[in-house]
Amino acid sequence: MNINSSLIQFRSSIKSTVKRWETVLTFLLLSEFIIFSLANEKFTFTRMLLSINDIISICIISLFVTFVMVTGGIDIQAGSIVGLTSIVIGVSWQDGGMNIWGAVIVSVVIAALCGALSGFFVAYCGVQPMIVTLGGSFLFQGIALLISKISATESYKGISGFPESFTQIAKFKLFGVIPSQLLIFIALIIICYFLLHKTKYGRSVFLVGVNHEASEYSGINSRRVVMSTYILSGIGASIAGIVLTAYLGTAKSDIGATFTLPIITAVVLGGTLSTGGKGSILGTALAAVVIGVLRFGLPLSFKISTQYLDIPVGILLLAVVIGRAIASNSKTYAAFSKLFLRKKNAD
Amino acid sequence: MNFVKKTAKMREMSSLLFLVILFGTVGIFNPGFLTPTSLINCLNDSVVFTLLACGIAFTIFTGEIDVSIGATLGLTAAVSSTMLVNGSSWIVAVIVGIIIGAVIGALNGWGVAYLGIPSLIFTLGTNGIVRGLIYVYTKGAWVENLPAWFTRLSQFKIAGNLTVYYAIILAVVIVLSIILAKTRKGKYFIAVGDNASGATLVGIPTNKTKLLAYVLSGVFAAVAGLIYSSRIGFITPTAGNGYELRAIAACVLGGISLSGGLGSLIGASIGAIIMSSVSRILVFLGFSSDYDNTITGILLITIVVVDALTQNRSATKNRRQRLMARTALTPARGDKQHEH
Repeated sequence: MNINSSLIQFRSSIKSTVKRWETVLTFLLLSEFIIFSLANEKFTFTRMLLSINDIISICIISLFVTFVMVTGGIDIQAGSIVGLTSIVIGVSWQDGGMNIWGAVIVSVVIAALCGALSGFFVAYCGVQPMIVTLGGSFLFQGIALLISKISATESYKGISGFPESFTQIAKFKLFGVIPSQLLIFIALIIICYFLLHKTKYGRSVFLVGVNHEASEYSGINSRRVVMSTYILSGIGASIAGIVLTAYLGTAKSDIGATFTLPIITAVVLGGTLSTGGKGSILGTALAAVVIGVLRFGLPLSFKISTQYLDIPVGILLLAVVIGRAIASNSKTYAAFSKLFLRKKNAD
Repeated sequence: MNFVKKTAKMREMSSLLFLVILFGTVGIFNPGFLTPTSLINCLNDSVVFTLLACGIAFTIFTGEIDVSIGATLGLTAAVSSTMLVNGSSWIVAVIVGIIIGAVIGALNGWGVAYLGIPSLIFTLGTNGIVRGLIYVYTKGAWVENLPAWFTRLSQFKIAGNLTVYYAIILAVVIVLSIILAKTRKGKYFIAVGDNASGATLVGIPTNKTKLLAYVLSGVFAAVAGLIYSSRIGFITPTAGNGYELRAIAACVLGGISLSGGLGSLIGASIGAIIMSSVSRILVFLGFSSDYDNTITGILLITIVVVDALTQNRSATKNRRQRLMARTALTPARGDKQHEH
């Protein structure tokens, strides 16, 4: 009874916040487009598609990290798994003599195992997710570096010369305009959306985030669910690593080292509660695009150096969390609603 | 209360034991590691991490986290060093650096304590902003040609091989540890982290304590930035990148619980020594420094997993004891009923 009513409650609460929040994000995105294109006529949609590679990794990974954060966890190792994936593809293809697609499969399996390792410690040993994934980020970065030393190629150069069929992943364009990365992103949004919002599994992910014990009592293997989200996030990071490696044409162990801040920003900006239980794939996707457009538009339209881009992203993150904190604070919220009511009465 | 003190002591002791075993093992493979000079150099090299770890320890005591300290270190290092290069007096440079650290800390503390924003999210945001500010301030260039007296100060030694920096920091850590353990207000940090609502109920200013913890964390990071520039002699825009993660790792290695309410500054310092010795140990064992991150990651994960498992076990043991005590009472009552 109790669980049932709380289920209904959280479903409705999710629905209402998601609706509101996603509209806010859409407006934000539209206003970005308008402001940037007014400031510089070179800012066009097709031009943005050309530089999609700068943001695609963050977009892809943040979709999967949403699963982790909905369960109340956090994943800061995804960035280092990107580098690990890249170097595994390179070394097993060049030095291991594997077929390139075999190498890709190996890299995805390894990334999933990395996620499983951290997920196991979080779910079954009860260690705090942040610390485990912090250790994981050291460990996987270190392993990636060690693997790069196996290779005959100097590690700072990176392994290049991949076959055409592999680099085609990032070069293919539908109708000559839409880059494959966008197609991959859209496909992943659809998959993740169905997985999180339309399946029994997704429902259990939410319930674990809302109340760990209640989900256990209602027959969900909550530990396995938690662990699976880390595996998913590992796989997501490996997909990003594959796409990025294909685009760059070189496999390096340290690509993705700077992704942590933008990924967490995208997920939080997308409306996912860091305490778990709330979140949406569409929100994350929109937020990732908002950040991506910001990082693309500011240098182009306002001549802001790319090195400064952490500032607007950080400010965006803080503005969102502060705004949300004020909105959820009952005192200030009451003041706001009072203001709103008075206006209504005046009308 | 006695029990809490005992466990706190035990946690530090286990870190110290780990340090001794680690150094001893390295000494077996390479006796050169155990010479006094080499050991004291381990201490000297840990000075920046000791400061960062002790600073962040305050926020971890209160159950929060601060991932902006690496960027704070970078910004204060850049600003203060530029001032020194431009010939301003060292007092002004130091004061400006500390003010920067305190302001960033106060911002973090305000967001976390008074707005109730999850600390990781908020400090991740300030981390991005401060890191960007370093680029704005330095325009992406290195700060070089620091005054010679400033860099030479880092080589100034007292009592054998110990640098003056580490001696001062050690004294500060010991004094602060005594304050934390013995004074009423010093115990606030641990109390807030142990049980925030309980602390509020007994009249501890929870929000103020958290704010103070963040200010201290920022100030420690600022001082670490000054010492960093004195030791290294030049500052890149990426200075201190990822140091926050290593400082957190040092705290964990030093037996500080990340859920708050447990640990000590002495523990943080021991953790910092272990953390900064990893690369030196690798050299003495004949490995390349490429293993640095891997070993750090393995150390960190092993320690936290073992810690979590032993805590789980003691929790289950306590619960079983309680249950046993209860079941021991029940049959006695049942017997009485039978007699009726």
